[in-house]
Amino acid sequence: MKKTHIPKLDDLLGGGVPAGSSIMFCANPGVDCEAFGYQMLNGLVKEGERGFIFTNVAEPDSIIYEFDSYGWDIVSAIENENVFFVDGSSSFIGAPSNAKYSFTDYSETEDVVLKAINDIPDGIAVINNLSTIIDYMGDLETVEIVKKWNKAAKENNTTIIYIFTEWDYEDSMVKKLKSSVDCVVELKTIEERVIVGQGFMVAGASWTEPLDTMILFFVIQPGGVKVYIPKILVTGPYNAGKSSFVKAISTKSVSVDRKAVGAFPTTIAMDIGHLDYKGFFADIFGTPGQERFDLILDVLSKEAVGAFIIIDSTAPQTFARAKEMIRKTRAEAIPKIIVANKQDLEGALSPDEIRDKMKLSKDIPIVPAVITEGKGTQECLDALLKLLYGD
Amino acid sequence: MGRDNVIPLIETGIPGFENIIQDEDTGMGGVPENTTSLIYGPPNVGKSIFCYQFMYNGLLKNEPCLYITADYGMKQLEQRTMDFDWFLQNYTTNEMLYVIDALSNFSGAKKQDTNTYKLTAVHNPTDLMVKVGLGTRFVFQKSQKFRSVFDSLTIPFAFNPDKLVIRVLKAYTKRIKEAGGAAIITHTEGSVDENIESLLKDIVDNVFRMDGNKISTEKVVDYKKLESRYKITDKGILIGMG
Repeated sequence: MKKTHIPKLDDLLGGGVPAGSSIMFCANPGVDCEAFGYQMLNGLVKEGERGFIFTNVAEPDSIIYEFDSYGWDIVSAIENENVFFVDGSSSFIGAPSNAKYSFTDYSETEDVVLKAINDIPDGIAVINNLSTIIDYMGDLETVEIVKKWNKAAKENNTTIIYIFTEWDYEDSMVKKLKSSVDCVVELKTIEERVIVGQGFMVAGASWTEPLDTMILFFVIQPGGVKVYIPKILVTGPYNAGKSSFVKAISTKSVSVDRKAVGAFPTTIAMDIGHLDYKGFFADIFGTPGQERFDLILDVLSKEAVGAFIIIDSTAPQTFARAKEMIRKTRAEAIPKIIVANKQDLEGALSPDEIRDKMKLSKDIPIVPAVITEGKGTQECLDALLKLLYGD
Repeated sequence: MGRDNVIPLIETGIPGFENIIQDEDTGMGGVPENTTSLIYGPPNVGKSIFCYQFMYNGLLKNEPCLYITADYGMKQLEQRTMDFDWFLQNYTTNEMLYVIDALSNFSGAKKQDTNTYKLTAVHNPTDLMVKVGLGTRFVFQKSQKFRSVFDSLTIPFAFNPDKLVIRVLKAYTKRIKEAGGAAIITHTEGSVDENIESLLKDIVDNVFRMDGNKISTEKVVDYKKLESRYKITDKGILIGMG
């Protein structure tokens, strides 16, 4: 097995990728997918493997610069002839190329890459990017080319990595492409009007039953692909049950609070918890509800990917405040669930009545709950996961 | 459709634009908000100037702008806008203007990314969309009312398969519309096949053609299609003045 050098991915794949297999990183437009191929190559080359990068989206110098910005030394590997380029880019922009292989006509792609695969038995090949090939060569032709490359790679025990940006192609073609490789890793955007996060998930692998888990990630320079522990926000008006909710959904939690003089202890700074639910893990940040602490809402809400808005179903007079807190925590722009708490108390409004009073769009789920009894909390988590990852 | 139901207009900053699209109640001109517009025509008829005016007018109104420059680099963008006394420096400093520069890398200029200036390459649409994703999020967090410009498609068409540029444009317009922004895209007439040009027109909500003398509305949501003469002055484009 070869390690992928992508954090968590080996765990999902049962230890790594068998030598000679093909793996496709299949990305929604907007996902930083190139780093996946480059990181895998860098890790394996460091272990002493040989490899090449086929590029039709950047000149070799730009890729060397990119490796450098990730903090990876590819220059020595090139000097030692452990890594080379197949340059399908320079000649198309009129630039000279000193790559081992380069070509001036797209029809040469298939043969040149086959030659390169034969040059590195037991090595690693990165193809960036498959989508440009599709639109130059045609859908069916590309599927055939991929099959030929995979066959040659298997014969040479070369592991081949495809970077594929999934633009609006015909579903049938995408299906054929995906079924022609041994493993597909989907790279997805998490969106709420804008991209709020990125995640990867193994859609299938021929050698193992992959774990059905979405790993959130970000790409940094230097560093490369890093697993991202997302932040989930819990907010809502004073005394709605935020701290109880953080406790109820967390495996571990701490409340930074001070017992106020009066009937209710209240959170003056924040509640922090850690969630581990159905393979999804996240840090939970509960905000204070009182207006005098509004200044820190902005800080607490930065970079959150989802939010639970806790409301007291018996206190419609606090709904305006709940909407204000949605605005102040910028939760308008991220997936959110309204947790209609205290459903066991007399006078509690139903989710429909709450939606009506708060003038909430139908897209925002309202989940009835009695947090102190643990009722509804699991439904809340399921509803948020559904919004984040789809069905 | 009742006048209450039409999409409100956002000012383009181009004097006389009411001759092209007009709100009958207020008499004001503009482009329908949260829509995408294609401006096409022969070279050197003022398509880019239209973009500068649209961007600058938004900045004056505190509406941030996500600007993709694909025909020339950031430096030229600053110089060209300066010709009309539109100075971008302050807006880059206060992060109201987010520029994706698809050309400077290409021309060998050595520049560095900043918070609001991202380099990409015209023949790497995957990377371009990564930057569009980051940029949309950035401007959206500044203001839910924002503008975007993609000037122009000419170089992307020259260095990519036509179909791929169409796919990128679909992804770009979807991203801007979902975030609530309004976008202007420019294209040089005749630089691609007719069927690709008609696909381009299908993707966007509004289509304007500029020919050097006349600007005409070929397609627009909710409003009447009009046309008018225009001229380019040292204050930018003036419509209906000549």
